[in-house]
Amino acid sequence: MNNAQTAPQSPKVTKETKNKIRVEFDRTDRWTRFKIKYFSVYFLQTVVWSIFRFLLLLGISYVILQPFFAKIASSFMSPEDFVDVTVKLIPRYPTLDTYKAIITDNKYIEALVNTLTLSLACAVIQTFICCLIGYGFAKFKFKGNKILFGLVVFTMIVPHETLQLSLFMKFRYFDIFGIFNLLGGGVFERFRVIGFTSINFNNTYWPLIILSLTGLAFKNGLYVFMMRQFFRGVPDELEESAYIDGSGIIKTFITIILPLSIPMMITIFLFTFSWQWTDNFYTTVFFTTSGPKLMPDVVAIPKSLDTQYAGQNMYEAAIRNTCGLMILAPLIVVYLFAQRYLIQGIERSGIIG
Amino acid sequence: MNSVSTVKGTAPKKIRKSASLDKRKARGGWIFVLPFIIGLLLVYLPVVYDSIKYSFHEIKILQGGGYRLEWVGLDNYQEAIFVDPSFVRTLTAGVQQLLFDIPAIVIFALFIAVLLNQKMVGRAAFRAIFFVPVILSTGLISDIDIGNTLLSYMGDTSRGIDTGEVADTTSQIVSMADIGWLFRNMAVGTELVTYVTGAVNNIFDIINRSGVQMLIFLAGLQSISPAIYESCAIDGSTAWETFWKITIPMVSPMIFVNMVYTIIDSFTASSNNVMAYIAGVYNQPGGNVLSSAMSWMYFLIVVLIIAVASAVLSAYVFYQRRD
Repeated sequence: MNNAQTAPQSPKVTKETKNKIRVEFDRTDRWTRFKIKYFSVYFLQTVVWSIFRFLLLLGISYVILQPFFAKIASSFMSPEDFVDVTVKLIPRYPTLDTYKAIITDNKYIEALVNTLTLSLACAVIQTFICCLIGYGFAKFKFKGNKILFGLVVFTMIVPHETLQLSLFMKFRYFDIFGIFNLLGGGVFERFRVIGFTSINFNNTYWPLIILSLTGLAFKNGLYVFMMRQFFRGVPDELEESAYIDGSGIIKTFITIILPLSIPMMITIFLFTFSWQWTDNFYTTVFFTTSGPKLMPDVVAIPKSLDTQYAGQNMYEAAIRNTCGLMILAPLIVVYLFAQRYLIQGIERSGIIG
Repeated sequence: MNSVSTVKGTAPKKIRKSASLDKRKARGGWIFVLPFIIGLLLVYLPVVYDSIKYSFHEIKILQGGGYRLEWVGLDNYQEAIFVDPSFVRTLTAGVQQLLFDIPAIVIFALFIAVLLNQKMVGRAAFRAIFFVPVILSTGLISDIDIGNTLLSYMGDTSRGIDTGEVADTTSQIVSMADIGWLFRNMAVGTELVTYVTGAVNNIFDIINRSGVQMLIFLAGLQSISPAIYESCAIDGSTAWETFWKITIPMVSPMIFVNMVYTIIDSFTASSNNVMAYIAGVYNQPGGNVLSSAMSWMYFLIVVLIIAVASAVLSAYVFYQRRD
């Protein structure tokens, strides 16, 4: 204390033990420190800003989640609740009839199983194929690399409605360069090597599988782009050292690159799975009502529910929303588990230009 | 001369060696890209070619399983432009609407990404909520949501027990009068005011369509080195200055990517009016070839807009030199 008074500026350093020193210095007293910290304009600004930010984000979150709340609430409502003006969000006569009717009448379980198979198959294939293609574009210089990548972007830009008719035709009368036609019908008519002129792929999973296998399915251009950006960030030295150790290109890819890109692949998987799950473009092009039941078929008014009354519009809207909710239910579960990978994966891809 | 010849002696060997590695790598590249090339040759290009071809033809489905094409020249295009009563109107209105929406989406996405990038309570939860629309409000669900009477009823707080009947004119979040009042004393044009009001009232739509963009911006923001911000803070720049002088230039490549992505995404979304109209035409009898013609015209317009937008934007994009 004496020392501190004589020399207030310099802290006193004493050696306490062999490995420890003790520093004594004058601290500003607690109240002053408190005043400086909390009675400043800077602190006020921070507090006001964080409150404002919190409220803003909360409000926007509400805008995002409100439809879900409304849908969930209305899915438990009975027909009487829709004509009751006093009922807003909480049903007066809660019922599970809507769910039951959708499960039994709309064959929900069947659609669920079919869609799960289809989405899983497509998502796994697309994730792997896009990873492959992205790696090819990112790490290898070959002639036509840029042109081919331009074509990938082209597949992204062409709206798929543009190709709707020709996609349908392609897979309705599936043929490779007219070979089947040639073998089946045309020149070899007498021999009949193949008993048909073309294969009808409609109402099967094949069109989507073929599109997935070739990286042409829904938004695959985007995934290839993301994968390419990700692999560009992976240092070349990693593969070079593997090459020097005598590993081939494919072996390097499988043993070194694939394990590395798992977080990114989870992101892509999440996208492919959920976008295939809720897809209603390809499913309506390639599947007719006689085909396997898929999620778009679930969206219908169940026959067992009587909707002919005053609140018909509202009730039918609620039923359709309930269908939507039931379609989403498995996705919500997936999203809850996988959402943190979404942002991580994109961070890693570091999309730049 | 002599020295040149000695160099000549060694050079071919070296070149051949490096070439073989390059060749091997090039072959590897082809192997990896092969699935896409196969798809391109067997499915995509034929499909694109067919689609263009169909737009000049009429399709007759034959009894024995098969179809016949009849050449009709530019008839489909003519019909789309001159005969069809509402195609041109839908197209111009749709393009206008999208040109209006796209900046709003990009600006909103950037704004939210900047907010979500700051340290705060519940950041993880907010992030999870903001990316919900990316996963859950697509395809089928957005189709169900179009013209959802129930949602507009439930979101409408003006109609309740206390008021009994519709008291307010609309269920808009912000009314024109409020915004007008807010901007009255600011020197901004009425166009901006209408733009902001429109954007605020479309907020649900804008949020739903800006999920991926938010992700891309967030990734971009996180790739900016904190050292730059730190040095700015030491030099005494305000948050506002830092945003314009550091954040904007550093994320400008992402702004570019997002702009192009938003254009593509909004123009090809099935929820947009033109797309819905074309899909409607497709389902009419004999409308399938007509819809092909329409969508190719639409595609050309989209490409044109993307080209103009990229030309304008690429002049302003700042690329940080990376290693």
